[in-house]
Amino acid sequence: MTKKILMIDDDPDFVSGIQAILATGDYEVDVAYNPKDGLRALQSKKYDLLLLDIMMGRGAEGIMIARKLRKDPKLREMPVLIITGMREQIAFLFPGEPIHPRFVDVDELVEKPVEPKLLLDKVSTLIQIAEAKKAGK
Amino acid sequence: MEAKSKILIIDDEDVVLDSCTQILKGSSYQLATATDGTRGLALVQEYQPDLVFVDLKMPGISGFEVLEKVHEIDPTIVAVVITGFATVSSAVDAMKRGAYDFLPKPFTPDEFRMIARRGIERRKLMLETISLRREKELLREQFASIVSHELKAPLSAVQQNLFALDFELDKTLNVEQKGKLERIKVRIDEMLKMINSWLRVISVDINKLKDGFTPISISKPIANALESLSSLAARKNIEIVNEVSENLHPVSGDSLSLSEVFVNIIGNSIKYSPDGTRVVIKAEEQGNNLTISIKDSGIGISQEDLPHIFEGFYRGKSSQETATGHGIGLAVARQIIEAHNGSISVESELGKGTTFLVSLPIQNT
Repeated sequence: MTKKILMIDDDPDFVSGIQAILATGDYEVDVAYNPKDGLRALQSKKYDLLLLDIMMGRGAEGIMIARKLRKDPKLREMPVLIITGMREQIAFLFPGEPIHPRFVDVDELVEKPVEPKLLLDKVSTLIQIAEAKKAGK
Repeated sequence: MEAKSKILIIDDEDVVLDSCTQILKGSSYQLATATDGTRGLALVQEYQPDLVFVDLKMPGISGFEVLEKVHEIDPTIVAVVITGFATVSSAVDAMKRGAYDFLPKPFTPDEFRMIARRGIERRKLMLETISLRREKELLREQFASIVSHELKAPLSAVQQNLFALDFELDKTLNVEQKGKLERIKVRIDEMLKMINSWLRVISVDINKLKDGFTPISISKPIANALESLSSLAARKNIEIVNEVSENLHPVSGDSLSLSEVFVNIIGNSIKYSPDGTRVVIKAEEQGNNLTISIKDSGIGISQEDLPHIFEGFYRGKSSQETATGHGIGLAVARQIIEAHNGSISVESELGKGTTFLVSLPIQNT
């Protein structure tokens, strides 16, 4: 079955590069170019995976989404792949926590740019882990 | 017009307060007085003086205590103690506890004016230093964000699209075409890495690494470094001989940043080596230290350049035409090694080659 993915990232050119790679798999990809539209999309539709950029807008606006997800009992079941420009900033944003943030049940972090094979691999693995967790409940 | 500097005098003797008020009349200072420590401290909060004179010998809370509390309220307030002749030694004590100066009683108007002026200047300097430091910090943050947004983001977007193109055309392109694409990707990757190391120097406090130290075998970060340098070595036809044993005692450190150290040093050796030569890596235990040597047969570093190569943004003169570098890798390496309580040094002879020595303490078990 086609999996639904939402990507939230404010760089349209970067998004195109990711979309082209995901198009080789069985994925339907929606895009939001700012956190506001992203949240709206998350509330109106159910996604199998979220691709999230952290450094958007004037600063780390992506983190606002991460925090909202963490609080929402329904949304926090959705796996999240963080695609970020800078690893150190993540450590800085979640002080005291390891670089791998674990702010929802299933999440992982990769750095921009992402190798195609790595991207496809992470996306399918994260979706599988999240589904297995849900089925096990 | 600039706001008047504010002086507060805390002394139980009215004659002192009166004479000070008299002396400063018509000066460019604003003056407030208090007759004991408790009232004085209340005024410090409310009046926010630049300079406080405190009598050491007062009924109620002592001058020393006032001194301490003033600095708790605001460490940049300059405090001067007023002492009687017999208590010069307590003036010294007070200065050890943070007083800037002392005013021995009795004093002449000139002495008082001079000490007041010096104290006010001191306060101005302190405030200036703080605001400069803050400005520098801000600039640093801004620079980091400019570098990451304006340079790194577009490059990442370019690279991501190249990745996609390469992926889509995998079966369509011939070997030469793939080679071209590969070269573009490699060069962009190098630029991204360079930007990362800049960002690292600018925005990351390397000393914070210490919080995450674990026992590690040095062979691991070296192997990681060699893996990420393999394509550079292949391109320059440099043979890398890794003689580091996996059975050495562990060191306490951060594996990722140690990998970065070796990527920078070994990468440097590869860059400045002529085609077809070797880079040899060895590790040896000497007492409580583990010394890793990285030896190349490259162009060498002149005696004149040697002392500077671990400074940021410095690149040797003799190297400029033969290789491109960013002159920051070795500075980062030094900072990381020093955060590991280790040291880094270099021996070199022009035309013959260079040996880098990294020394790290072995972890006590």
